[in-house]
Amino acid sequence: MRVRQKGFVLIAMSVAMVLMLAVMGLAFDFGRIYIARNEAQVFTDAAAMAAASKLDGTDAGMDRARQAVAKLPMRWNLGTKAFTGVVVEFSPDKQSWARVTAPDNQVEITFLRAVGGPAVFTVPAHSVAAAKPVRLTE
Amino acid sequence: MRRSRQSGHAMIELAVSAAVMVSCVAGTVQFGYTFYIYNELVTAVGNGGRYAAMRTYRASGQSDIDKGKVAIRNMVAFGDSRPAPDASPQVANLKPEQVRVDWVMDESGKPAAVSVSIVDYTVDAAFGIFRFTGKPAVEYPFVGRFAPSESEP
Repeated sequence: MRVRQKGFVLIAMSVAMVLMLAVMGLAFDFGRIYIARNEAQVFTDAAAMAAASKLDGTDAGMDRARQAVAKLPMRWNLGTKAFTGVVVEFSPDKQSWARVTAPDNQVEITFLRAVGGPAVFTVPAHSVAAAKPVRLTE
Repeated sequence: MRRSRQSGHAMIELAVSAAVMVSCVAGTVQFGYTFYIYNELVTAVGNGGRYAAMRTYRASGQSDIDKGKVAIRNMVAFGDSRPAPDASPQVANLKPEQVRVDWVMDESGKPAAVSVSIVDYTVDAAFGIFRFTGKPAVEYPFVGRFAPSESEP
């Protein structure tokens, strides 16, 4: 009887720790993933609008649009990392709409890795804005 | 004799494992809640920034600019530019005063962009307090109507 009891706490703790890591991963890692996704979405919303507002049907307008996107100071990963690999696309007539994609925002996974999760999780975002938006009259 | 020694072991084991478990739970609750609040702030600031970008910029006097900023702060805090007196904030305990609005002007004195950020907001997450200043922040290009000679209604 005594022999069987030995080591029980160790086993119980190990099992509980794995479950604990999974729960911590759900709260911590998913929290960061959702924030990163939201930050990326807010960024592409603003960037698409910035790009669309510069369009005038010329190549120079598209250059100004790309510069306006590059100038935006927004960051992700709790406001610490700059967006990289941002893609800015335009309508064929160069004046109707702009589409901004932030494709490679890779959130590093902390806890879920320990229970079989991936090392990084990518949260892309994209937005389209019309060049002549509806303006609030207020 | 043996039984009492064994139950002492169990007490120590419980104490050690409980210390680990409780700190894990406390950390999970604290970070989970803080991340949730931060996410809500990102949403509120993003929506407020978009509102600011599309809103008519009236500037017949400083009071008009100030009134415009009040409307933007209210939009971030309450989701409404003219909230009812008993309106509840979109994010727990967020006050309009904790929202900062800055206009970026171009060379000709017209608004080019607007930045909206959170200042001095604290999250009380049961086991610890986090303070956000300058984050989250957005900058939107100004795409609204520029009306330098109109006054706010």
